[in-house]
Amino acid sequence: MSTVLQVADAVTSQLNAAALSQSFTAERLYIPNFELAKLNQLRVTVVPSELHVRSLDRNRNSYEAEIDIAVQKKFKQGSNAEIDPLIALVEEIADLFRLQRLASLPAAIWSRTEHQVLYSPEHWEQYRQFTSLLTVFFRLAR
Amino acid sequence: MSDMLRHGQSWLAAKLTSHAAHEVVYRRDSLQATVLATIGKTDAEQESADGLVTRTEVRDYLINTVSLVLDGVQTLPQRGDEILETDEGQVFIYEVLPMGSDRAWRYSDPFRLKLRIHTKLIATEDM
Repeated sequence: MSTVLQVADAVTSQLNAAALSQSFTAERLYIPNFELAKLNQLRVTVVPSELHVRSLDRNRNSYEAEIDIAVQKKFKQGSNAEIDPLIALVEEIADLFRLQRLASLPAAIWSRTEHQVLYSPEHWEQYRQFTSLLTVFFRLAR
Repeated sequence: MSDMLRHGQSWLAAKLTSHAAHEVVYRRDSLQATVLATIGKTDAEQESADGLVTRTEVRDYLINTVSLVLDGVQTLPQRGDEILETDEGQVFIYEVLPMGSDRAWRYSDPFRLKLRIHTKLIATEDM
């Protein structure tokens, strides 16, 4: 299996094994593509996004795998009481990997996290749907 | 002098309601009312933001402005209201939502006789 898919699968496993404030079953997909009617339940999707390869030494390369984690849920009112726990969950997910090696792929170590889409205004406006996108970077040598 | 255009539009609105409409439930939180609605347009929508695709069925309902009465008070649609349509033992729940750059509803004629309400399918339930 390719490096980036191994990392994505390890991220998915780690998410599903974690005890977080809300329960969900994360799944790895290439394109998160959901019916609005199926988003009444919390959905967490792991997407292998990019892979950067650089020379490390004579025999090995340094791989940096970029993994997107999408957190989505259709909301009722969009009140703070409804959305704050979702924002908190996204931060919990980010913290889960920070400064850690992946449990099922110890060669991969966390590099950095970017949270470019805290919530999507488009999905909020058009679907009353919370959509947050977290990008987590992992490095490994091979 | 009578307004022929208004009379004509009013006649058309009445014909639409009596011949091309069926009962739906209009719901806002705990309030609801049964109204006659004409389905204006049904389409599929797919939108992608940051690689995340959301698919849904979009549907417009045409409802007489004066018939939208909740708890004894005539009202106008609000985003987040729901329209429940029953068909063959299933309840289709549509939520009042904006459509692209168009807001969630607008009057469908110059005389404000009918409302055109944009909705998206958010759930299907067995009766």
